[in-house]
Amino acid sequence: MGNDILVLAQHQDGAVKKPTLECLSVARALAAATGGKVLAAALGPGAAKAAADLGAWGAASVLVGEGPALAKYSSLRWTRVLAGAVAKQKPAALLTSTSALSRDLAGRLAARINGVLASDCTKLSAAGGRFTLERPILAGRALVTASHGGDRPLVATLRPNVFGAEKPAQAGACATETLEVTEDAADLRVVVKEVATVKSERPELSEAAIVVSGGRSWGSADGFKPVFDLADALGAAPGASRAAVDAGYVPHSMQVGQTGKTVSPVLYIACGISGAIQHLAGMRTSKYIVAINNDPNAPIFKLADYGIVGDEFEVVPALTAEIKKLKEG
Amino acid sequence: MKIAVCVKQVPSTTAVIRVAADGSRLELAGVETVVGPYEEYALEEALKVREKNAGSTIVVVAVGGEEAGKALTHAYALGVDRAVLIQAPDADAAAAAACAAGFLKAEKPDLVFCGRQAIDDDQWLFPGALGEALDLPHVTAASTFELAGASATCKRRIEGGEEVIEVKLPAVISCEKGLNEPRVPTLKGRLNAKKMKVETKSPADVGVDAAKLAGGLKIERYAPPPEKSPGKRIEGKAAAEAAAELVKLLREEAKVI
Ligand SMILES: Cc1cc2nc3c(=O)[nH]c(=O)nc-3n(C[C@H](O)[C@H](O)[C@H](O)COP(=O)(O)OP(=O)(O)OC[C@H]3O[C@@H](n4cnc5c(N)ncnc54)[C@H](O)[C@@H]3O)c2cc1C
Ligand SMILES: Nc1ncnc2c1ncn2[C@@H]1O[C@H](COP(=O)(O)O)[C@@H](O)[C@H]1O
Repeated sequence: MGNDILVLAQHQDGAVKKPTLECLSVARALAAATGGKVLAAALGPGAAKAAADLGAWGAASVLVGEGPALAKYSSLRWTRVLAGAVAKQKPAALLTSTSALSRDLAGRLAARINGVLASDCTKLSAAGGRFTLERPILAGRALVTASHGGDRPLVATLRPNVFGAEKPAQAGACATETLEVTEDAADLRVVVKEVATVKSERPELSEAAIVVSGGRSWGSADGFKPVFDLADALGAAPGASRAAVDAGYVPHSMQVGQTGKTVSPVLYIACGISGAIQHLAGMRTSKYIVAINNDPNAPIFKLADYGIVGDEFEVVPALTAEIKKLKEG
Repeated sequence: MKIAVCVKQVPSTTAVIRVAADGSRLELAGVETVVGPYEEYALEEALKVREKNAGSTIVVVAVGGEEAGKALTHAYALGVDRAVLIQAPDADAAAAAACAAGFLKAEKPDLVFCGRQAIDDDQWLFPGALGEALDLPHVTAASTFELAGASATCKRRIEGGEEVIEVKLPAVISCEKGLNEPRVPTLKGRLNAKKMKVETKSPADVGVDAAKLAGGLKIERYAPPPEKSPGKRIEGKAAAEAAAELVKLLREEAKVI
């Protein structure tokens, strides 16, 4: 095994997603400690286009896999292609961000390359031939610090928005290399037939820098509107508690928490959310937490950096007005 | 149709988790445990498939210690045909997948249902690793499942949308909330479960070298989530005033907007 750090880039038609830039920043720090290089792999339509950005963010070399065989995500094909790249490059670690894709891929890929998987890490460093990482377990009720060294590669997925992305002042030269992609009928045992995307002007919940969430207390689907209004004023992603989802106000795709999405934005605004442990599981690593609740004893206040004790039906529209004033002024 | 379900017994979602003062372990003795909520969807889906396909059987596998037996008793109470405990109390998700694979290799199920994640280790590792070890395709976090002959169609939520996935059987399916409404055991089922016997096996029985069960991540220490110092609270003010004050704090102190 070598000392290089390989980042599996996640991108949409060549537009590199921000969590991937965070992975590259972490990879640079790791490579400095291992004495290796930062490599990146980009698969699927637009991969070649993504390569330039990956280089600018610190990849010394980008492995590009395009063509009809990779037109759509496929766990078996992605695993096969990436395992081939790993066999050739022998990285000490493979990083990618936590996402629907990596949730599907990482367990299989780690098994294929005889790697050791650490999912959804919130810290990762390297020293003395070992990687040390931290990850929340038990829905954030505890943190575990674990280490890994030896000759099996580490496969780590990194929680978005936790690490931060820093562009190198001066990027070195970046080589690109084409990944050989062959067809194998066995890959077709599982295929993505269709991807239905919900067109939205709003940022994706799990990647958003600001999230504004509402709870059951909004009372109805229509009643939830002030939460959307505040989110839109801030350019934020709207989220919800499970109680709001179960009551049918908003779709499950908006649910934050243990049985929903994990978010870690810079700013999380909980509007009328009590702060049940399962909700906290999905947002407790947010940098700043704001709570708006009329119950001064609501558990969410224990986690809040800023809180307003007051009626959400008055406070949230007032906040929206204040934000609009700020943006216009 | 032969259906397998992999279940894990985990601390209940509301249990207070204590970390030993020296950080060396979690103090889990006496903590209430439950069948993982996602495994409940897996069990329910297996029961539904069995109902629709006469002659089907369900075998449930748990890898763990004594406590894991409770998950299997629960499965019996729901009416599954067979429950097997592979005794490996310290197995992490990768080791558990290796043990389950060792057992299932010989069973040759047409379908294996898992939860999307075990809510204690939160790794989302096992189903993919199991698929790999058995050379079966896998689908992660299926929120719908429709069987049609030798293949199945699932939906999976992704960022900003949904995938429709077709998978050929045999396959491993990990289950997401919304897939179904898990039933609760009936009284009759619970009484019946008392009469059923959980089969126990060792890792060696299923062809796994116990020495190889370790060797994944080395746990260095546990810690409770960081305590937050009490935040600033705006109380007893009119909405507009409170809003203005908060925006000022977010802008000038936190510098996040
Ligand atoms: C296995 C399991 C998994 C779960 N997963 C999740 C999950 O992923 N995500 C999740 O969120 N929950 C989850 N839950 C549910 C969780 O336990 C709570 O029930 C849920 O989070 C409560 O949602 P809520 O805060 O909107 O509602 P409530 O608990 O009803 O709280 C409403 C809050 O609104 C406040 N309020 C009421 N009126 C006003 C007003 N006019 N102005 C201001 N504040 C007001 C109240 O003071 C209260 O704090 C899960 C539960 C279980 C058992
Ligand atoms: N020790 C275990 N025994 C049986 N099944 C398990 C075990 N660990 C994990 N699983 C299954 O794999 C799923 C995902 O777990 P994990 O990869 O640990 O998050 C769970 O929902 C279970 O269905």
